[in-house]
Amino acid sequence: MHNLEERVECGEHLAMKALITGITSQDGSYLAEHLLSRGYEVIGLVRPGPLHDANIKHLLDSITIKESSLTNLAFIQSVLRQVKPDEVYNLAAVSNFALYIKDPVGSHDINGNAALVMLEAIRTTNSAIRFFQAGTCQMFGTPITSPQSEQTPYTPVTPYAASKAFAQWMVAQYRTQHKLHASSGILFSHESPRRPPDFVTRKITQAVAKISLGIADELVLGNLDVKRDWGFAGDYVEAMWMINRAKTPDDYVIGSGKSHTVREFLHEAFTAAGITEYERFIKADPALMRTETAVLEADITKIQENLGWRPKTSFKELVRMMVMHDIALLRESL
Amino acid sequence: METKRALITGITGQDGSYLAELLLSKGYEVYGLVRRSSTLSNERIIHIQNQIRLIEGDLGDTSSMIRVLRAAKPHEVYNLAAMSFVKTSFDEPVATGNITGLGVARLLEAVRLVDPTIHFYQASSSEMFGKVRESPQTELTPFHPRSPYGVAKAYGHYISLNYRESYGIFTANGILFNHESPRRGLEFVTRKISHGVAKIKLGFADHIILGNLDAKRDWGFAGDYVDAMWRMLQAQEPSDYVVGTGETHSIREFLEAAFRSAGIDDWQHYVKQDPRFMRPAEVDLLLANPAKAKKELGWEPKTSFGQLVNIMIEYDIDLLTRLPHLGKAAHHH
Repeated sequence: MHNLEERVECGEHLAMKALITGITSQDGSYLAEHLLSRGYEVIGLVRPGPLHDANIKHLLDSITIKESSLTNLAFIQSVLRQVKPDEVYNLAAVSNFALYIKDPVGSHDINGNAALVMLEAIRTTNSAIRFFQAGTCQMFGTPITSPQSEQTPYTPVTPYAASKAFAQWMVAQYRTQHKLHASSGILFSHESPRRPPDFVTRKITQAVAKISLGIADELVLGNLDVKRDWGFAGDYVEAMWMINRAKTPDDYVIGSGKSHTVREFLHEAFTAAGITEYERFIKADPALMRTETAVLEADITKIQENLGWRPKTSFKELVRMMVMHDIALLRESL
Repeated sequence: METKRALITGITGQDGSYLAELLLSKGYEVYGLVRRSSTLSNERIIHIQNQIRLIEGDLGDTSSMIRVLRAAKPHEVYNLAAMSFVKTSFDEPVATGNITGLGVARLLEAVRLVDPTIHFYQASSSEMFGKVRESPQTELTPFHPRSPYGVAKAYGHYISLNYRESYGIFTANGILFNHESPRRGLEFVTRKISHGVAKIKLGFADHIILGNLDAKRDWGFAGDYVDAMWRMLQAQEPSDYVVGTGETHSIREFLEAAFRSAGIDDWQHYVKQDPRFMRPAEVDLLLANPAKAKKELGWEPKTSFGQLVNIMIEYDIDLLTRLPHLGKAAHHH
């Protein structure tokens, strides 16, 4: 860590305050844990209505939850004046394909517009607040080069990715024009036991857990040769924090730097559960096949060199962690 | 055959008015979307006001767009509405994102719900290239926008592409380079120059204040460019097209040509520079490669740079000559 600017903490009154949007998500919950462990006071913004607290139940006594619109500028300004955060992490997103493809306009409000509104609120209330925007490797669409770095052009091919590109470019705009400490992470796939089951990794680990306990005997998947750059979400939130603490704001690719096929993920998952002859459990469904063109693989040279960040959890460890978690979870419920 | 109907958003703007004229000449029934306001800024369409139908609606509201499409039942929609002055977008980023960016998605969503066979034109912009990755720019050049206007246009471009690829809507994106005319707003540098030169020529003013004279642009005539828009919606397949001249000129060259056209040689005496008119982040060299539009649409610009400057100067001299009050007032000083 060369460039990190650490704040000397010598008393509770100096505790840093962080505001997180999307705190109930996988990333939001890991980030809240990370910041709490660093002595931060953590405030999470959630949409009004019932709290989806599955991921943050264990943190509810240590964090503050505030209901808020994410797109009403006047409201966000008043939140910033009240909460007085040192750092903002914008993680809220509608990333589920079925949801955003049904409602691209409503999804843009969260995936694109909310970042702009937060940046404008920061500029107009306290421009010293540091801002982190969670971007996605999906902005690269079908990239012509691999691996992808901060220099790789964005060619988004989904409404989600188009909105994320909008947010990312606005971050750059506020950094250049208004000199805000505003940064983006271009995050490659990051998984954990908290991943929702509609993602292929969690779908696999849940199924493997069931198969290993004898309560299921098949796993239906699409293309097994699809390659992804998978990392552990718990490692990636540390990168977000380091980016916000860096002297100079910038955009960083966050990934593992290695890509693996779904087939390799399967192999590690079954191996972790102690099952060797697993081919017979796998069923292919052409309906789940999507056309894949280029390999998504992160070039993490910049974040390694500038901030000294590197992922701590290996692919194998990640898969094992997820499988073991799902087996334990299933045993409890049986 | 049924009369073709077209809906134009931004019909009171420079491009909207030229496009309305073109479509009327082709026998279209033309509908124009206008914002609800107590005064309609209709100076550019006053001469065709009896031939077109204006419908009030709001790009900030999807249900309003649905109502408008149901009323006009267009075969073609041309989305030209935008907060188009780049410098304003630096002060109004949220409103720019909402109308220039998300407005595109709202209108497309309404198209998908009301009549997915509508052919849709999106006015994309060379501002999306911003910090340019290569020169000249083609349909394949990556975007790197450097203004909130450019960011919002890039989002509009991609969301339009998404509606083509994910929902099967006929959407065409015209990546238009700067296009000027006597109908350009006075806040744009070309019109500011032609209007300023006309004032100097007639003795109503003795100087023009400008920003960076070395900024270069690919300038064409708006009247030529609306023809490219129409051609895109008549094509077999929807696609993206760069529309420009393929030539760049500096503001200095525009100045020289404008003063020359007005018969003034020593133009340097009349021009003052002020850093306040410079942009916070200047875009690099914008230069179009319009080869694809030429090959696939048979489109080419007809008006040269020199002709464009002449048209604008002649118009502004004529305009000011026809304003006797302004003339008298100015002469008293």
